[in-house]
Amino acid sequence: MSATSPLAIETRALRRVYRAKPNDVVALDGIDLEVVPGEFFGLLGPNGAGKTTLIKILTTLLLPTTGEARIFGFDVVHQTKQIRRIMNMVAGGEQSGYGILEVREQLWMFSQFYGLGSRDGWRRVDELIDAVGLDEQRRQKVSTLSTGQRQKMNFARGLLNDPWIFFLDEPTLGLDVSAARAVRELILSWKAAVPGRTVLLTSHYMAEVDELCERIAIVDHGRVLAIGSPAELKHRIQRESIFRLELDRLDGGTASLARLPGVVAASAAASDEGHGQGDRQSVSVNLVLEDDAALGGVVGALGGLGAQILALRKSEPTLEDVFVELVGRGFDDAPDASRDETAPKGRAADPQPRREAEPAEEELV
Amino acid sequence: MSGNAYVHRPTASPQAAAEWTQRQILMTNLRTVAGRAYPRVRGLAREKSWLFFEILLPFLTTSAFVFVYRALQAPPEYVGFVVLGGAMTAFWLNVIWMMASQLWWEKSQGNLELYFAAPMDIVAVLLGMAVGGMVMSSSRAAVVLVVATVVYGVTFAVDQWLLLLAVFFLTLTALYGLGMVLASLFLMWGREAYHLTQFLQEPVYFVSGLNFPVGRLGMLGALAIALLPLAVGLDAMRQLAFADAAYPVGTPPPEVEALILVVMTVVFLSLARWMLRTLERLARREGRLTIRWQ
Amino acid sequence: MTADAPVAPTAPPALGSPEWGGFDPARTRGRGLRDLRRSFMTAARLGWQTEANWTDPILFFIYSVAKPLSTTLIFVVMIEVIGGASTREFRGFVVVGTALWAFVIAGIAGLAWAVLDDRERYRMLKYVVVSPSDFLTVLLGRGVARIAVGGMGAAITLSVGVLALGVPLDAGRIDWPLLLPVMLGGLVTIVAVGILLAAVCIQTRQESWSYPEAAAGALFLVTGAVFPLSVLPAPVQVVGWLTPLTWWIEGVRLAVFPAGPSGIGGTGSAFAAFSGRVRPEPHEIVVALLGTGVLVTLAAIVGFRVSLHRAKDRGLLDQTTGS
Repeated sequence: MSATSPLAIETRALRRVYRAKPNDVVALDGIDLEVVPGEFFGLLGPNGAGKTTLIKILTTLLLPTTGEARIFGFDVVHQTKQIRRIMNMVAGGEQSGYGILEVREQLWMFSQFYGLGSRDGWRRVDELIDAVGLDEQRRQKVSTLSTGQRQKMNFARGLLNDPWIFFLDEPTLGLDVSAARAVRELILSWKAAVPGRTVLLTSHYMAEVDELCERIAIVDHGRVLAIGSPAELKHRIQRESIFRLELDRLDGGTASLARLPGVVAASAAASDEGHGQGDRQSVSVNLVLEDDAALGGVVGALGGLGAQILALRKSEPTLEDVFVELVGRGFDDAPDASRDETAPKGRAADPQPRREAEPAEEELV
Repeated sequence: MSGNAYVHRPTASPQAAAEWTQRQILMTNLRTVAGRAYPRVRGLAREKSWLFFEILLPFLTTSAFVFVYRALQAPPEYVGFVVLGGAMTAFWLNVIWMMASQLWWEKSQGNLELYFAAPMDIVAVLLGMAVGGMVMSSSRAAVVLVVATVVYGVTFAVDQWLLLLAVFFLTLTALYGLGMVLASLFLMWGREAYHLTQFLQEPVYFVSGLNFPVGRLGMLGALAIALLPLAVGLDAMRQLAFADAAYPVGTPPPEVEALILVVMTVVFLSLARWMLRTLERLARREGRLTIRWQ
Repeated sequence: MTADAPVAPTAPPALGSPEWGGFDPARTRGRGLRDLRRSFMTAARLGWQTEANWTDPILFFIYSVAKPLSTTLIFVVMIEVIGGASTREFRGFVVVGTALWAFVIAGIAGLAWAVLDDRERYRMLKYVVVSPSDFLTVLLGRGVARIAVGGMGAAITLSVGVLALGVPLDAGRIDWPLLLPVMLGGLVTIVAVGILLAAVCIQTRQESWSYPEAAAGALFLVTGAVFPLSVLPAPVQVVGWLTPLTWWIEGVRLAVFPAGPSGIGGTGSAFAAFSGRVRPEPHEIVVALLGTGVLVTLAAIVGFRVSLHRAKDRGLLDQTTGS
C-alpha cells in the first residue's frame, strides 16, 4: 500500500477476530476495499455482517487483527490523530451527550474538542443548527429531544469539523419515515454542497442505500460478496428489462408482440383487479425486453394495433434479490438457511464457508 | 444552506487538514478542557440539589468528627485537623467520582467512542472533568473550612504561607495525576471499576489520616505518605497551618513532604500519560471502547 | 317517498366478548397482596443477583469488611490519639455505633442507588414503572439485598471489635426482648429514610450517587452514633430525639452492652435535664422509636408518591442525565 495513496479508504486483507466464548468470532474475514475521494459509498448487509466492525476500524476505535486500512493514506493503527482530524462519524440510535445541556451548548462543547475557537464554535453551531432544521430546538435540553431531532443534532455534530470523510453507521436506525427522509435529505444536501467529500454509509435498508450511494459493497459474514453501482449489481441478476403493461385490448394476442425487435418474450399475465376502468376489460401483458430502448418500438406497435396502454410498470430486482442470488437467503432469513451448494457459481464473489455473524455486543467477553 | 456555510477553514487537501501545528494541538487540548468542564458547571447551575447534599451535609459530617474530639476533650488543634481533613475530602471525592470513574460512565452513555474518535487528547477531557468538578469541590472545601473555623473557633497559626499554598496546589496536582492513572484503569475495567471507587473511600480516609495525624499509624502511615497524595499533603498542611501545636512526631517535615508531592506529581502524570495511551491501545485491540454492558 | 327509519345505535361489545378476541377483563383487576408479595420477592431476587457479593471474595471484602471496618478504625484511632481514662469505654461506644452504621449506609444507599442504577445504567426504570408491580414495592425488594450486605458488615465489625479491640460483650446479658423490637423498628426506619433518598434521586441528576452517603454522614451528627448527644447544644440534642435512628442505636447499645455509656443521656445532657435520669428506660426507647419511626415512614411514603407523580409529570423517569 502506498503512503501517498489517493484513495479515501483503502483496505487490504482486513481481518478482525473477536475473542468470545465458546469460540472466537470472525467479524471481518479479509476485506479488500477501495473508495475514491468524493464517492458516496455504501456497505449493505444484514445484521452481523461486519459493517459496524469495519466502520469502527476505519474510525480508529478498533484495531484490526490482521491486514491494513488507510484513510487518505493515513494508517488506522499508527496515524490515528491525523485521521481523527479529518473525519467524523454519526451512528444510528445514538443516545450520547449530556441531557442537562441545551442543543446549542452540546454542539459547542464538541466544537471545542475539534479545536474551534470559542466564538467561532458558537457561530458554526448556530449555522449548523439552522442547516439541519433545529432552530426551534436550539435552546431545548438534549434530554427532551425526540429521536428524529436528536439524530439531526448528531448529524450537526458530525459536520462541526467539516470532515473530509464522513462515516454514517445506520444513520436512520429507529427513525420514522419522515425523520429518516429528513436525515437522508440532509446527507444529500451536504454532499451536494461539498461534492469533494467522501461518505461511507452502512445500512441494512436497501432502499436507502439504493437511493444515496454511488457504489455499494454487499457484505455478509465478514466478506465482501459484490461491489458495484446499484444498477450494476441489479444488472448481474437481471440483464433484461421487464415491463408489465395493462392494455384495453390486444388483437392477435402476445404473439404479435413477441415478434417485435428487442422483445425477448411476451406473455399474458393474470389481470389485476381494479385496473380496468369501470366495466372495461383490460389485458395484462408481461414483456421481457433486451433493454429499455426496445420499449419505444413496442409502444409504437401497440399503437398500430389500436391498443391503448392503460398502465405501464417496470419490474426491477431489488438489492435483496441480488443478495439472495449471491448468498442463497434473504436478509431476514437465519444463516442456517443458506446452503453453499445452491449458491450460484461464476459470480464476482463466490459464496464462502459459513462463518459466525458479528456477535452482538452483549456476547463479547 | 450554501456550500460555503458547510465548509469551515478550507484546506487544499485532507492531508493538509490532517497535519496540525503544535500550537493547534495545544489550543485544541486547552479548548477541550474548557469544553468538557462546561457541562459540569452548567449542570451545577441548573440543578441545585448539590448545595444541600454536597455542601451542607458534608459540613455536618465534619462537624460530627469535631464533636467526637470534643467528647474526648481533645486539644483544640485536633478540631483544626479534622476541619482541614474534611475540606480535603472534597477534592479526593472529586478525583475518584468525577474523574477516575467518569470514563466508565461515558462509555455506558456512548460518549466515550465520540471522545476517542475526536482529535483531542483524552488527558484534556479528564482535566476538563476535574476542572468542572472543582467548582463543587472548592465550594465544599471552602464552606467546611470557613464555616467550621468560625463556628468551632479553630485558630490557625501559619508561619510559612507560601509553602502552605504551594503544598496545597501540589497536593491537588498530585491528586489529579493519580486520578488520571485510575481513569486509565477504568477504561479497561467495567463494573469492577465502580467497586474500586467504593474501596477508595473509607479505607483511604483511614490510612490517609483524614481525621487524625497520620503518623499515629506507624508503618502504615509511612506507607501512606509514600504513596497517597492525600496523606502526605494533609500532613504537611497540618504542620504548616498549626505551626504552634504539639504535633505528633513520626512524619517528615513539611519541606520534605512538599518534595514528595513534587515527585508524586511527576510520577503520576507521566504514568497516567503512558497508561492512558497503552490502555487505549489495549482497549482498541480488545474492542472495549464501545461496549456498553461490560 | 318515505325517509329511512333512524338506526338505533348499538352498544359496543363488552370486554370479554368474542369481538375482543377473548380478552379477560379480570386481568385488569390484579390480586392485591399476592401481587405485592410476588413483586417484592422478584425484586429481592433481582437485587440479590445484581448486588449481593457473597461468592465474589473481592466484593465481599470491599463492602462487608474494608468499608465498615475502616470507618470504625478511624474513630478507634481518634480515641487512641487522645487517650485518657475513658478510652476503653468510649471505644466500645463507637464500635457499636459504627457497626450499626453499616446497616444505615447500606439501607439508605440501597434504595437510592436502585433508582439511579435502573434509570442511568440499566435504562429499565420506565419499564418497571409501567409494569403492574407497585414501584415502591419493587424498590423495597431491591434494597433488601443491600441491607443484608450491610448486616454482614455490621456483624464483622462488631466481631472485630469484641475479638481484637477489647469491646466487652457478655452474650448472656443481652436483652433480647429489647433487642428484637428495636432492631425491627430500626430497620423499618432505615428503609424509610432510604425511600426518602430514593424520592430525591428520582428528581436529581446522575451525580446524586453520593447523596446517600452524604446523608448518612450528616446523620452521624445527631444520632449519637459516635459521640454522646450531651456534647451537642441542647436544641441540637432535641433534633436527635426526633430522629428514630437515635433511639434505635440507643436501644441496641442498651440491649447488647447494658453497662456501657448512653448516647442520649449522660451527665449534663438535655435528656437528664428534662427527665431527671441519666438514661432512658427500655420502654421509653421502644415507644420513642415507634413514634418517630411511624412519622418518618409516613413522610417517606407520602414524599415518594409526590416525587413519583412529579417525575411522571415532568418526564423524568426515562431521562438519562450526566455531566
